[in-house]
Amino acid sequence: MTNIAPAASPETLIQMKSVNKYFGNFQALKNINLEVKKGEKIVVCGPSGSGKSTMIRCINRLEEHTDGHIIIDGNELTDKVKDINAIRREVGMVFQSFNLFPHMTILKNLMLAQRLVRKTSKAEARETAMHFLERVKIPEQADKYPVQLSGGQQQRVAIARALCMKPEIILFDEPTSALDPEMINEVLEVMTDLAKEGMTMVCVTHEMGFARSVADRVIFMDAGEIVEEAEPEDFFLNPQNERTQKFLSQILTH
Amino acid sequence: MEAVTGWWDDYFWGSVIVLQVFVCSLILMVLFGLIGAAAKLSNNRFAQKLAAGYTVAFRGTPEILVILLLYFGSAITLTAIAQVFDPEVKFVDLSPFWSGTLAIGLIVGSYATETFRGAFLGVKPGSIEAARALGMSNFQTFVYVRIPEMWRLALPSFGNHMLSLIKDTALISIIGLNETLFVAKQAIGTTGKPFTMYIVVGCVYLGFSTVITLTVMWLEKYGNKHMESAR
Ligand SMILES: Nc1ncnc2c1ncn2[C@@H]1O[C@H](COP(=O)(O)OP(=O)(O)O)[C@@H](O)[C@H]1O
Ligand SMILES: [Mg+2]
Repeated sequence: MTNIAPAASPETLIQMKSVNKYFGNFQALKNINLEVKKGEKIVVCGPSGSGKSTMIRCINRLEEHTDGHIIIDGNELTDKVKDINAIRREVGMVFQSFNLFPHMTILKNLMLAQRLVRKTSKAEARETAMHFLERVKIPEQADKYPVQLSGGQQQRVAIARALCMKPEIILFDEPTSALDPEMINEVLEVMTDLAKEGMTMVCVTHEMGFARSVADRVIFMDAGEIVEEAEPEDFFLNPQNERTQKFLSQILTH
Repeated sequence: MEAVTGWWDDYFWGSVIVLQVFVCSLILMVLFGLIGAAAKLSNNRFAQKLAAGYTVAFRGTPEILVILLLYFGSAITLTAIAQVFDPEVKFVDLSPFWSGTLAIGLIVGSYATETFRGAFLGVKPGSIEAARALGMSNFQTFVYVRIPEMWRLALPSFGNHMLSLIKDTALISIIGLNETLFVAKQAIGTTGKPFTMYIVVGCVYLGFSTVITLTVMWLEKYGNKHMESAR
């Protein structure tokens, strides 16, 4: 792996430098600069289509950036496949639509990547899986299949599945947007617990209560750019940019 | 029925051949189907065209014609090649068993190509992304996520393809494969009882296809147990 001499402190886990991303002729990310230190919690918000998903998907290379540098824990993302899988196991991801493997029981969902990627023994993988199922408060669902669970339960399983890999960072892409309102809180609670334990998190979410109580910084994106970046207090009470003000006035009145 | 008495063992061995052709052509069918689907889904233009040509050709010609062409075509080719090395050789052919098996494997494989292609496309991209995000390699994702999800989608059509295979074995009698229909024709020649002899063939095939149908039903039930909702 290429070891780029870190310009920032050694504690920096994610570093994006002048990142651009094109889909054909369409520029989805424009000159993104972002730094996330170990233990930091970042909330990303912005209107639909502003590039939030694209940005975090570039961090674990589900999308390839067109130019600029992305450095994860000292390793630059390039097109060498070996490096990518090594980096991906350090970067967990939770998707809007859960994306559990439908043909496997909950327990098997949690064990698969541990066995294949981390090469843990079956017994150890099972133990880790049960440990994290307890952490997300649904150990009794271990032998069920994903369709048999509610949306909130599935999302908690998805979080547990990411945690089983013992990642350095977890990315969340609108984890509560697909949920019925009464299930949102059970997922946010799990995320808040994680934050308290010091997990490094980048969360795309419009749950402003969560942003207020958990985030170290809030990032506002619009049209592929990071428009504003501030601590939650400043971000909500004193937004600088006109576009941020407009966005906040829209979502906070709802 | 007493007319059949002397022919039971011939029918039995004919059925064994039906079964052998079925198993071998099934393997070929899956192989051709997977290769065809992979080619159609690849980014390679040439592979796409080749696979498209394959499905058009084999789905668009009568099956019996494919069997005949493959048998005589391979015989002519092999004889020509053999004569280069030894001018004394008169006739070399691929056995009726193997050319017939290859022919129906290719024919039904062209249908399976479309089935597998559709099934691969039906796998939710979310599962595949989740596997990637967990650090699984493309190969691991293929084996542990794509295949298990796609076979469930492919199963109903795949059952039909298996029925086609078993029924198509009867066509191979035309190039001299001694399966049950071939046996029946010989039996009719000596006994002069066509109806009885063909009924026996019908029962043999019905027996095989019933077993296939029940197996597919069981597999569908097994494959979809994850779809039963919680009580
Ligand atoms: N695979 C893709 N191909 C082409 N355009 C894409 C693709 N993915 C996203 N986009 C476009 O990039 C822009 C940003 O998308 P996205 O990152 O999903 O926004 P957000 O998550 O903020 O809603 C959108 O205009 C979207 O249409
Ligand atoms: Mg999005």
